[in-house]
Amino acid sequence: MPSRRLIHTLADLLALADRRQLLLGAVLSVVTVLAGMALLGLSGWFITATALAGLIPATALAFDVFAPAAAIRLLAIGRTGSRYGERLVTHDATLSLLAHLRARLFRGFARPAAARDLLARPARLLFRLTNDIDALDGLYLRLMVPFSAAFGATLAAGTALGLLAPWLGLGLALFLGGIGILVPVATALAGRRPARRRAHGLEALRARTIDLVDGQTELAMAGRLAAQRDAVRRADAYLADADDRLNRIETGAGLAFGIAGSLALALVLAGAGLLVEAGRIDTPLAAFALLIAVAVMEPFGALRRGAAEIGRTLLALDRLGPRIRDGAEMPVPARPDGSTAVLLDNVDFAHEGVARPVFTALDLRIEAGETVALIGPSGAGKSSLLALIAGEATPRSGRCAVRPTALLTQRSELFRDTLAENLRLAAPDADEARLWAALTAAGLAGDVGEMADGLETRLGDGGLGLSGGQGRRLALARMFLRNAPVWLLDEPTEGLDRETAVDVLARVRAAAAGHTLLLATHLRREAAIADRLLMVGGGGISREARRGEPAFEEMLAGLRAG
Amino acid sequence: MLAAFVWLPQAGFIALAVQRLADGGGVDAVLWPAVAVGLLGVLRAALDALGARLSYRKARHVLSAARARAVDVLAAGSPLDTRRHPAGLAASVIAEQAEAVLPYLSRYKPVRMRVMVLPFVIAGAVFFFSWTAALILLVAAPLIPLFMALVGWRAKAASEAQLAEMGDMNAFLLDRLRGLATIRGLGAVETTANRVHGAAVSLKERTMAVLRIAFLSSAVLELFSALGVAMVAVYVGFHLLGQIGFGAWGGTLGLGEALFVLLLAPAFFEPLRDLSAVWHDRAAGVAGLAALDGLMAPGLEMPGALSAGSRVPARAGALSVDLRGLSFGHEGAPAPVFDHFDLHVRPGERIAVLGPSGAGKSTLLSLIGGLAPASGGRIAIGDRLMTAETAADLRQGMAWIGQRPHFFAGTLRANIALGRPEVDLATVETAVAEAALQHVAGPGAARDLGEGGLGLSGGEALRLALARAAATPGLGLVLADEPTAHLDRETAAEVTAGLLRLTEGVTLIVATHDPALAAAMDRTIRIGGRSTCQAVA
Repeated sequence: MPSRRLIHTLADLLALADRRQLLLGAVLSVVTVLAGMALLGLSGWFITATALAGLIPATALAFDVFAPAAAIRLLAIGRTGSRYGERLVTHDATLSLLAHLRARLFRGFARPAAARDLLARPARLLFRLTNDIDALDGLYLRLMVPFSAAFGATLAAGTALGLLAPWLGLGLALFLGGIGILVPVATALAGRRPARRRAHGLEALRARTIDLVDGQTELAMAGRLAAQRDAVRRADAYLADADDRLNRIETGAGLAFGIAGSLALALVLAGAGLLVEAGRIDTPLAAFALLIAVAVMEPFGALRRGAAEIGRTLLALDRLGPRIRDGAEMPVPARPDGSTAVLLDNVDFAHEGVARPVFTALDLRIEAGETVALIGPSGAGKSSLLALIAGEATPRSGRCAVRPTALLTQRSELFRDTLAENLRLAAPDADEARLWAALTAAGLAGDVGEMADGLETRLGDGGLGLSGGQGRRLALARMFLRNAPVWLLDEPTEGLDRETAVDVLARVRAAAAGHTLLLATHLRREAAIADRLLMVGGGGISREARRGEPAFEEMLAGLRAG
Repeated sequence: MLAAFVWLPQAGFIALAVQRLADGGGVDAVLWPAVAVGLLGVLRAALDALGARLSYRKARHVLSAARARAVDVLAAGSPLDTRRHPAGLAASVIAEQAEAVLPYLSRYKPVRMRVMVLPFVIAGAVFFFSWTAALILLVAAPLIPLFMALVGWRAKAASEAQLAEMGDMNAFLLDRLRGLATIRGLGAVETTANRVHGAAVSLKERTMAVLRIAFLSSAVLELFSALGVAMVAVYVGFHLLGQIGFGAWGGTLGLGEALFVLLLAPAFFEPLRDLSAVWHDRAAGVAGLAALDGLMAPGLEMPGALSAGSRVPARAGALSVDLRGLSFGHEGAPAPVFDHFDLHVRPGERIAVLGPSGAGKSTLLSLIGGLAPASGGRIAIGDRLMTAETAADLRQGMAWIGQRPHFFAGTLRANIALGRPEVDLATVETAVAEAALQHVAGPGAARDLGEGGLGLSGGEALRLALARAAATPGLGLVLADEPTAHLDRETAAEVTAGLLRLTEGVTLIVATHDPALAAAMDRTIRIGGRSTCQAVA
């Protein structure tokens, strides 16, 4: 049942938060509303009472004006203070919750299956993720807080009027309570589908715009630019239609609250008339009751926007739920025995959604300390084999057991952070001396030494401010820092000029002593440092040669020079 | 706007009802005021809803129109325009940034209008009964514009800072997720998760520091409004007791009048509070409008971009290409790329264009394909001149093979057909076979490519581009832009063979650095600088 899963996700989410803080925020919001109601109610009572007292000079002199006047001023100041406190506490609570949520989501996405999905559609999933997180920030601020404020106001108004006449208080509380539950629930139900459609419309609008711009040449040559333009417009129309429905629903909720408030006010007025006629209350108390009824509707206004957003919030909870859950624990990979570093036993592997397997019944054993190069034409499965060994890909069947690995991917990412933090990814506790040692081993110490901020240099988006060669050396230094016995390198010198490439390879060899090294490559210069060459193709290892064998030189010669 | 005014008679009827109760009336005396209060309330709610809907629809209309214009400009721009927005940026402007315009237009603007009018009307109504109460209101809000400026200035800085910080926090997470492969490769998931949390917490601290100031300024507004209401209540109370005689035009306020004044006091401040609530809509909305305007800036246009062509299959057969006195230069660049350039390619001829990076090889192909207007000279494809009117028709007989083909999210079949109505499944299957893509295509070429061609190698991506070209009905000319760059030797040889198969009896112009590919052509020309020397192979 989907709603049950949602409740679990909600519980997971709230478990991340500081519950005392959440509660405090809600309590303060109630206090604020109550102070506002008391301010208006007391003022009404005060004016009416003074008016009546003022008619007779003797009572006018005896009338104690100072206590109510002081109370009115106190309420005015108290209300402001509690509103300020409420806003601070609720925003603090929301931001703390989001901080925990982001870390949890990161762990969830780092699970292999989720990570693969993410790699398949990075732009779309990351965009969706941002929007989902933003939607969750309204859950507490725009839904839970206004709801508790409305609930508190209803309860307080019911109690206050109930002291005058139980039926009046009970009636008002039941009426407003019913409205306060019914309208948001109806709004949420009606808004669920349009909210989902709206989110999809926005994603489609984005994806189609990207296709229009990036695929413009292809579309122009096929005469399909106008068609794509129309597709973008259709996405906008779809989005506009869903959003219009949502707006209609939200406005409808506002209308319902407005009508309910007016009815409540009219009924309280009539009820107060009855009570005065029966002599149960005097006019000042009637004025008090009326002004309470005026003030009680204030928090309901804030509730309507939250209610209209429920659909979007539920969608976010639904989509993030598995990642929030997954983020709680991490799986443990299998390790080989003895002197073996990498063991693949009867492994079948295929890309998701593709029937044709990349590998069938693949066996591979690499001993600790070996340097092995994987060669073969593009698309033969070199990168897939590295991914299997690194645990990035899961075989359809068969066993993979590998000692801890460090993988240097083709496009090694540099992160928006300082150089030191980029390095410490691999070794969180490394001191500066160790960082410098790694930089020296990678041949980057000189360049970093010349930077004004040294290790504290900030790298921009994707490591802006470093050349291709420097970026590769930084990635290398990071791998050196990582305390893993098996190093996996995917085309480590691709795109580097010859001089840099030769230097980088020499440094890899020097630092690799005592490590098992696996390179995927189509360049002769990279394969030449290996002790063993494996030709990947035809669903497995098609050819193999060790250094010294004639086939070794033959296979090397078949590779691209460089 | 009108809805807010309905509160005046509503408050009047409430005050009247209490007056009648004080005068000794019972339920009969308050019955019709109660009905009036109820009906006016319903009217007010209805007017409120109507106003919200009207301003929403208007804002939606404005937004859709602006989006449509921006998309037109994006579609019709030339890929050679150096000032073109990158796809990610353009998409973010068209999608989420533009959407932020909506709350600004539909919520902020009406509230701002209310602030300009409503407080003065209410103060006027209060003034009619008691100048002192009106004075208290005006003193409590010491010059509303000053207040607005204070709140606005603070809230604006705060909301902009907060938006930026929130954006930073998202960017931080996205940055780490984008590099997830690297992080997993380094076994640094846990470390990074802790860093993500730490960064979010430190951003939270900074955001809260800004918010504290922002909330303080709105607290000042709240305080003045609450004190204003309280002081009006206290003044009216003392006045009614007879302890303050002045303020009501020489007379004494009745209970009903006094209550009316009290009920109006909160309404006086309400628009101001509404304004501070919607203030952050403004910053995002103004930024969104500016970004949309930026997209719409005119630039280099593609001839006949939005025309679909006649869709009549072009005459089958190789096309000649004839360039006479062709000139083209990038705006702002010191020297033109081409200055009176001549070239003739016979029908069915296959030529390679060589030259250093930046010599204009890709530009030449783009000009022949009509993707950018030449600034001088003429281009003839077959027997027709390339103009804005004929460009779309001429492109029908051509195919383009780029060095990194773009993948559209969807199936392989859709990626080959590209939505061309004349390309049916049989054509796609033939094209798949011709490009030797069967092993990745799946039955009916229904394989889902994901975003950016998931699982396709560089060679397979190029073969997909070959299949796209092969599916073009009446293909007469193929333009290929460095098709073998980024490929290893073996794959490059396969792609070259595929290209030769595809262009049997078809004209081919290929820009390349690859000597092996160039050697397979009938002729090579070398461009670079102003002089152009041609060599016949």
